[in-house]
Amino acid sequence: MNRIDASDHYEVTATGQTPSLLTIILDTNPRAWQALGPTLSISAALANILVFVNAHLAFGNDNQVAILAAHSHRAVWLYPKPPSSDSNSSKNALSSFKKKAGVGGDGDVEMTGVNGNGNSHKNTAAPLGTSANKYPQFAAIESSILSSLQSLIAETDAADIPLHDPRRRRPHHGPVLHQQNRPLLRAREALLDRPQRQHHRQQQQQQRQRRRRRRRSSRRPTSPDPARPHPRPLRLRLGTRPVHRHHERRLRRLARPHPYRHPLPLPHASPTFLQQAAFITGGSYVSASLNPRGLLTYLMLGFLPDAEARAHLLQATQDRVDFRAACFCHRDVVDTGFVCSVCLSIFCEVPPGDAGCLTCGTKLALGNYGNKPAVVPRKKKKKKRVNGVSGREETGSATGTPRTLKAFTLEVELGGWQHVVLDRLRCRIRHRG
Amino acid sequence: MSLSDYLEKLPGTTFKRLYQQPSTAFAIFRRMLPHLAKTFVMAMLYMPTPFLISDLEIWVKPTSKRQKDQALATLRSLHIIQSAGPQSMTLTTNFRNSLRLALEGGGDHHSFGVPSTLPVPSDVDLAFLDRYARKKWDDILHYVVNSVEYSDMRDKDTSGGGPKASVKELLIAGRLVEKRSVATISITQAGFTFLLQEANSQVWTLLLLWLEAADAAGERAGMDSVDMLSFLFLLASLELGRGYSTDALPEPRRNMLPYLVDFGLIYIPPHDHQQYFPTRLATTLTSSESSLRSVSAGFLAASEGGISDAGDKNAIILETNFRVYAYTSSPLQIAVLALFCELKMRFRELVSGKLSRQSIRKAVDMGITSDQIISYLATHAHEQMHRLAAAQKKPLLPPVIVDQIRLWQLDTERMSVCPGFLFKDFESVREYEDMANFAGEIGVLKWRNDRKGMFFASKVEQIKDFMKNRRKAEQ
Repeated sequence: MNRIDASDHYEVTATGQTPSLLTIILDTNPRAWQALGPTLSISAALANILVFVNAHLAFGNDNQVAILAAHSHRAVWLYPKPPSSDSNSSKNALSSFKKKAGVGGDGDVEMTGVNGNGNSHKNTAAPLGTSANKYPQFAAIESSILSSLQSLIAETDAADIPLHDPRRRRPHHGPVLHQQNRPLLRAREALLDRPQRQHHRQQQQQQRQRRRRRRRSSRRPTSPDPARPHPRPLRLRLGTRPVHRHHERRLRRLARPHPYRHPLPLPHASPTFLQQAAFITGGSYVSASLNPRGLLTYLMLGFLPDAEARAHLLQATQDRVDFRAACFCHRDVVDTGFVCSVCLSIFCEVPPGDAGCLTCGTKLALGNYGNKPAVVPRKKKKKKRVNGVSGREETGSATGTPRTLKAFTLEVELGGWQHVVLDRLRCRIRHRG
Repeated sequence: MSLSDYLEKLPGTTFKRLYQQPSTAFAIFRRMLPHLAKTFVMAMLYMPTPFLISDLEIWVKPTSKRQKDQALATLRSLHIIQSAGPQSMTLTTNFRNSLRLALEGGGDHHSFGVPSTLPVPSDVDLAFLDRYARKKWDDILHYVVNSVEYSDMRDKDTSGGGPKASVKELLIAGRLVEKRSVATISITQAGFTFLLQEANSQVWTLLLLWLEAADAAGERAGMDSVDMLSFLFLLASLELGRGYSTDALPEPRRNMLPYLVDFGLIYIPPHDHQQYFPTRLATTLTSSESSLRSVSAGFLAASEGGISDAGDKNAIILETNFRVYAYTSSPLQIAVLALFCELKMRFRELVSGKLSRQSIRKAVDMGITSDQIISYLATHAHEQMHRLAAAQKKPLLPPVIVDQIRLWQLDTERMSVCPGFLFKDFESVREYEDMANFAGEIGVLKWRNDRKGMFFASKVEQIKDFMKNRRKAEQ
């Protein structure tokens, strides 16, 4: 009878896999792919991505996938199809958010599907879908992506592709959000517009509660809400365009509980903000620049494990994160800059003349400019003494590791430009006085 | 018997044959592997060189060693990985090639079914197929349930319909029901297990019985169980609502079709024998058990009438005061509930009742175990129970009830039987400890007694290998 005692409890928990939603934003800017041409053609990359998508879907019947293209001048859904086109493939219960995908009318490019793909889809789907050598779901996705992409390319003419060198310094034009990067933003907005958006608050609240609870009691593994598929955004980006514009807006968007996971197949531009985004959200950032042809291996090893598997696996992390910020005037990544003490905008140089801060218009004094830029002071931590020997002092040097940077707080005095070392600005900026 | 038990008994050569078909490799990948194992397989799939065990150990968190070992044990037992040297492993060739083909498409294997080019009859649509499959399957379940003495629906048996004679024979041969006399049959303990499973496992149980029967019949019947299994996996990868050509099937597979029609897995239009339509029972064969209960599938099942019944799935609410509420009007589910529950009230869409010592003991006397009751309650738990459990981080069923059901069973039954192997007379304490720990890690250890130096494990194959390796290493 010693089996009957109070110590032995049987807990019946719901088992099983949480469905996860893989979202891929694919940079389809023709110039970028042309630059990549010899190492990795778009068709080869696409074939790899399709295998990766299929592998994701193979994990479970409920896994879903959404693919967006960030094109040179707009963003489009590649899969699933927007409702305007053939609704044959709307088996994934994603149709509800497709309507929302077109929201936003601030003079911006609307997120739509590729025009006229209704017909082409029907034509291509028939032969592919009836193949006896292919899993029907895979065939449907493949035909959808290929036909959307084909018509997207067919619709793109030379006028849509910006000709200027993106690295050219632009004159001051104030902190107006630049149009060029709209497609990317639009794609990401659409991504966040999916059905989870309405549950977003709820989820965040739950997470907050969980965190609180965790702090209070013993650490319990947090299990995901089984009722919602797990979003796993994946940005697939080419590095030929700098993406330093309005990063703060993007980073604000990222202050959400989902990890963003970005592989980056090309080394041309410094992927500062992707690194930061991945770091902040706890996602992983993998640079595939060493060997772009091995894209599939990068994807399969680094990005296939979903939240459930990642609980058991170590993630690829970055040994160095570039924490520099972009200035508001030229969108350049700068090491040191001037920070407006009122609105905290960053400028690489003090705006000429008496223009004052370009964002809020406050006239600011230059103060003690010419001195060494402020090294962001760090809060002093009380170290526990271990065996009478104090813990190793952390060096406040410029090459400090990213993790320690969290402790920095910049104190700003109102009424003047603050000359600040920006790559250590991974911190809350606090007004003093 | 579950599918994994059946597969584990198959010899390695059979697996080689099975894995020649991409659809089979794909289905086994989806249905049989734990999540972590799937991740490993995918990581190795396109790896040009063997995967070093040391790399794997770096990749997996040290706290998850147990899950890793279990995943590898499953992969080995299904002959998906093999060691490619002392410290590395690869996927077996057939499996790797087939899975790659399945993901990439291409090849000329026709293993995902040859669609029919004929026009689809106008009356065949998803709703029709669902109704059809449900009718067939409910007939089978009713046949089993009606044999329960306590059931109040015995008269249904005479109302015509019911499963075909071949299915009845199969149920009797599989000892799910027993023939007491010419006219009456009665359910066995295996039958209760069968009833309390969810639909997907039930289908597999019946199909495996069929495979075994075919094995036993041997060549006489002209059926090869490996080919049959392969065909079942093929069915699982077909698309619901699409017609497939019967002419493209080889002779032995075409002979299987009448049986599958009897089970309700496929539908063949009465006037048109050139195409067959897989039903939801077939296309969900390789969904993992629990994913059938996931949100979207649950919603689909509710709105479209699902496999068995809109109310048959996820309809039970169990409270800590031992009360049970089931949102159902299906006589089948009510009959099953009545097996272990005192039903008090019945409304149009709801029955309510209470678990009590008497009701559980009555069930135990009939041969139902507490585990079966608990797993039935868990698999059919209402969506609200899942939501609550997830929100409060509590177990799905109230632990009080679960414990109590077990205690009530222990009142009558103080032994649980588990077939397995006893290991004793070790040469040294270290050897004993190594072996017992290993058995614990791969999850087969059932009992150990350190003082006597004995332990009991449910499976022996991997322990054997481990023993051999250990001996070798010592020499």
